[in-house]
Amino acid sequence: MIIRVLLLIGLAAIGWFVFLRRNRLPLHIVTVFALLAVAAVAVVSPDLTQRAAELVGVGRGTDLVLYLSVVSMSFILIHYYSKFVELQRKLTDMTREVAILRAELERVAPPRPEAP
Amino acid sequence: MVIAAFNEAKVICEVISGVVAAGWPVVVVDDGSRDDTAEQARIPGADVVRHGINLGQGAALQTGIDYALRRGAKHIVTFDADGQHAIEDVPALIEALGDADIALGSRFLGKQIEGASSSRRVLLRTATLVSNGLSGMKLTDAHCGLRAFRAEAAPALRITKDRMAHASELLRKIKTSGLRVVEVPVTVRYTEHSMSKGQGGMQAVRILFDYFFHS
Repeated sequence: MIIRVLLLIGLAAIGWFVFLRRNRLPLHIVTVFALLAVAAVAVVSPDLTQRAAELVGVGRGTDLVLYLSVVSMSFILIHYYSKFVELQRKLTDMTREVAILRAELERVAPPRPEAP
Repeated sequence: MVIAAFNEAKVICEVISGVVAAGWPVVVVDDGSRDDTAEQARIPGADVVRHGINLGQGAALQTGIDYALRRGAKHIVTFDADGQHAIEDVPALIEALGDADIALGSRFLGKQIEGASSSRRVLLRTATLVSNGLSGMKLTDAHCGLRAFRAEAAPALRITKDRMAHASELLRKIKTSGLRVVEVPVTVRYTEHSMSKGQGGMQAVRILFDYFFHS
């Protein structure tokens, strides 16, 4: 089936990308590859997700996968949102610090005329 | 006197001249303007602090407040850069600090709003209602840029909302810190320039979003 090939190529591409940027802790790499392996198994034998779904009381395997991905995406979104807010606060603090220091420096040592 | 300015080169020189002529020490925070706001503000003799990038009015005001405190200011006055405030109103604000920690200018407390359209009045009234609801205070005008407070009150009033939601944030902090607040009637002069820089209805929605979700 074409869709299986496409999905497996996508998973392999993610794996290759992570492998190229392997400057992280080994634990991260192992976790990512484990997740990719689980995804690949689910692609190759969909009956497994179907059985897992029935086990937890969801109708179809695809629904289970959808629910899990929505929840994990939301986690990821919140994680990066709070990082973004934190980063913005740091940027404000840094910009303020630099601005005030520069202004105070200019009071004691007026800026030189710009070089031609 | 703290003035936050973003792309105000056309009017800043005149506004600062008025402030300097009245004898107030003034710091202008140029919030990453793309025009020569900073140079124009230096001409009449203001101290200029420049943000390397545009952060927003809330951040710029806090930078100016920090700078003024480091220079040993006893009272902080915030003043809009677009020339809508009257420098003659400042002594009344400072005087009001005699038995209060913070004095807020109010456009609706008797004096004139020159040049405001009726839709603008409605917007400002609505903003005041929403703001009173959020802060739990009863004020006649929530978002006037002309305010004064004592240096000792500054730590409790620290602005963390970088953009426009700082006005509502300030009120919330006044409320929770238990500082004594008074309102002082001030005159506001809306010119074509200040209207072009002012906040419209759509921005009001954005400000609400900022208030709840942004730093």
